[in-house]
Formats: sequence, C-alpha cells, structure tokens
Amino acid sequence: MLTRINVGPIHPSTHGVLRLVVTLDGDTIVDVEPHVGFLHRGVEKLAENRMYMQSESYMEKIDYAAPMAYSDLYVAAVEEAMGIHPKERAKYVRLILLEFQRIASHLLWLGTFCNDLGQMFTMFMWTMKDRDLVLNLLQDVTGSRMFYVNMRLGGVSIDLPPNFEEHANKLLDYLEKRFKDYEAFLEKNPVFIERTKGVGVLKREDAIALGVTGPVLRASGVNFDVRRDYAYYAYEKLHFIPQVQTRGDSFARYKVRMQEMKESIKLIRDALKLMPEGDALGMPIKLISPPVKESEVIVRRELPRGEGMIFMVTDKQRPYRLAIRAPAFINLSALRYIAKGARYADLFSILGSLDLVMADVDR
Amino acid sequence: MKIKKEELIEKLRELSSNGYNYLVKITAVDYIDHLEVIYFIRNMQNKKEENVRLDLKNGESLPTVIEIYKSADYYERELSEMFGIAIEGREVKRLLLEKWDGLEAPLRKSFQWGSDYKSG
Repeated sequence: MLTRINVGPIHPSTHGVLRLVVTLDGDTIVDVEPHVGFLHRGVEKLAENRMYMQSESYMEKIDYAAPMAYSDLYVAAVEEAMGIHPKERAKYVRLILLEFQRIASHLLWLGTFCNDLGQMFTMFMWTMKDRDLVLNLLQDVTGSRMFYVNMRLGGVSIDLPPNFEEHANKLLDYLEKRFKDYEAFLEKNPVFIERTKGVGVLKREDAIALGVTGPVLRASGVNFDVRRDYAYYAYEKLHFIPQVQTRGDSFARYKVRMQEMKESIKLIRDALKLMPEGDALGMPIKLISPPVKESEVIVRRELPRGEGMIFMVTDKQRPYRLAIRAPAFINLSALRYIAKGARYADLFSILGSLDLVMADVDR
Repeated sequence: MKIKKEELIEKLRELSSNGYNYLVKITAVDYIDHLEVIYFIRNMQNKKEENVRLDLKNGESLPTVIEIYKSADYYERELSEMFGIAIEGREVKRLLLEKWDGLEAPLRKSFQWGSDYKSG
C-alpha cells in the first residue's frame, strides 16, 4: 500500500520554503514531487523594467548564500553587452573575492548538511564561526556582510584595503588547519559515513541527462568546470584543477565541495602573489549607462552551486529580456530521480547534498 | 542555428546522437508579434555549444523534447507558465506559479504591472 507524506513548506531541512509530496511504499520512496514557487519574485521581469545598473542589487537576492557570485554574473553580462573589459587588477580582485564567497557558501552548506544528518550543531557551530571570519574579511573590503553590491562596470566599487593581503593569508592558513579538523571529524565518523556513503547515487550518464550542474555534476565523474572550460578573469592564468569524484553519492558531493574549498585557498594565494598593482575601480553607478553594442549576450560563470548563465537580449537602456539559468533550479529537478528507491530517512541526506537555495530555484 | 518548428525533434535527435547530450537551458523571448524559443545545448566532450532557435506564432504550441533531454521537464513547465506556450505531447503541471490560472503569462510583454492579480 502506498502512503503519501507531505513535507514542508516550512521544514527545518528544506532550507527555505519547499514543499515535497513524498509517495512511500513502506519505507521506500516511490516518488517525490517538489512544489516550488513560494519565493518567486519575478526577477527576470523586474530587470526588464529597470535600467541596467539598477538591477545589480536585485540579482544578489537571488542567492542569499553567495550574493556576490550573482552580482558578478549580472555585471559581466552587462559588460559584455557594452563591450567593456574589466581592468587587469580588477580581474584578480574579483577572483579573490569570489573565491572567498565560494568558501563562505560551502561552509554554510556543510554546517546545515551535517544538521540534516543528525550531527547536531557541532559542525554547524564550527562552520558558522569560520564563515563569520570570511564574512569579516569581505566586510573589510566592501563594508557589508551579506549583500555587497560591489561589482561595477570594468571593475569593483572599492579596491582591496592596504593590509588585505596579510589578513587574507592569515585567514587562509587558519582555514587550511580547520579543514583538516573537519575532515578528521567527518570522515572517521560512523554516523556521517553511514548516512552519506552509497546514499543517493547518481550515475554519470544520468547526471548528464538530468542536466545537473556544479559540484553535483562533478561528484558523478563529469570533469566540467566553467572556470576552466570557459575561463574568465584571472582563471585563465592560474593553475587550477576541477575537483571530480566518481561514486556519485552524497559522500562524493560532500568531498567535491570540501576539496573545492581547498582549491579555492590555493587559487586565492596564487592570485594574491600575481595580482598587478594599479587601479581596479570600475565606473561609478549612473542611471544612464554607456551605449550597448551587442544585441544579445550569453555569459557563464561557475557559481558555488553550479553553472550560472545569463542570456540577455539588450535594448537601449534596459534589458529587453533577461533569462537566468539558476543552478539550484535544475539540481532540484533531479531530486525525484535520485531519491527514487531510497529510504525515507535518506531523503534529507540527498536533498541536503544538492545544496539548494530556494530563492535561487524560484527566482 | 535557426530552424522550423517541424524540424525541431529531428534536429535535436541528430545533435544528441552527435554528442550534444547536455541541455543547458530552454528559454524564450517575446517579440510581441511572435516568440522566439531557444535551446542551449552543449557537447560535454569538447565543450562546444549550439543554440537551436525557432520562431513561434502567438498561440502556437511547441512539441516536447523530454524524450531526448530528460532535463527539459522543468524548463518546459517554466516556459509554458511564463510565456503561455502550450507544450504538445506531455502533461504539463504548474511549477512556479501554482495559482496563476486564467491570468496573463507574466513574461509576455503584454503583461502589465499591478494588473488584475488576486492571490488565492
């Protein structure tokens, strides 16, 4: 006999407002039907009605766990439309800030993921504390802890402060030590291993067919990273290895993100060494932007949650159409395929490992 | 590449058998007198991308491509509610706008701000 269980829309493990209707046969999941849209704000429509640079702060609210990554994606699209190239130093400054943002986002994920697995609060406290240090550093640069709005056409709003390199290196050394602690705590922990290894396996072919992206795709053995395959900013010049795992289970998805944070540390260190002197400041925000040169642009960026893409049809002063490919949206669509056949208790291990931000799904 | 609506399934089958196995996004643009639907497709081996575009008249429907790309599921549902494009060949449930029935599709240019939306 089949049973139907309603989960959410408000549920501690859905990280936002997500309703799942789960059909169960005994303890085994037969089907999961996600109901989304509770956080839909119509960002794409809003952008059509505003001047180019007025929309930047809206874009940050799409993904509140990694706002800077989204404002960068949007500003890059506007830059491309106007034929503006970021300054040489700005390419490095953006890379450094975006990689710190990636670390902050992955740390938030790791803490909440461990909460979902019943590793109550030890990891959450650790990661939130360390994430706070990263946010402090970003606050030193941008003046804000959550919504930065610091990307400008051709550069950033404020250059790195004079003592930034010293602070950043100190923090990176600390984080490197902490990641070792995390790994020792989690990878020798029978509860964590039992609840992630072999759970929610997504095979390579399925991952491609379902269109999943980012760490979820790489955990299934697909070697694809926008930072390398469509290199932008200083990623072109720095050596960098996309982190790939082959097992495709929840543990592999954890491992990919863990390794990615370490890779980010390396990237930031290299960028700090190679960063040229000079000017990184972009144009101040004015209502009337420079003239648009392209009628259509496609821009891709590797956001912490996966590949983000903006397809923009331009008009004189505002976008005619702005289409955003949100990574969490497509990762959520894979949930029902991954969860099929799993046990109900494992649903949240799978859901958590997809790293969903509901505001990103709904836009 | 620009194609006709009738060629869509055939073209996508050909592309997917040539290694273009990853659907990045399906989206549409409203040009008031017609709609343009765009399929962004990627070859995961050599990372090449192909845009398949087709024009739709207002009120015309679109064949589903879910047989070729499983990931088209959510994109087609989004397309049908945001642009009011009917999808042939599959059941299309509402996704983001569950209680939007009978109202103008929001991403059409004819949709006006603050018009007759009533919640519930």
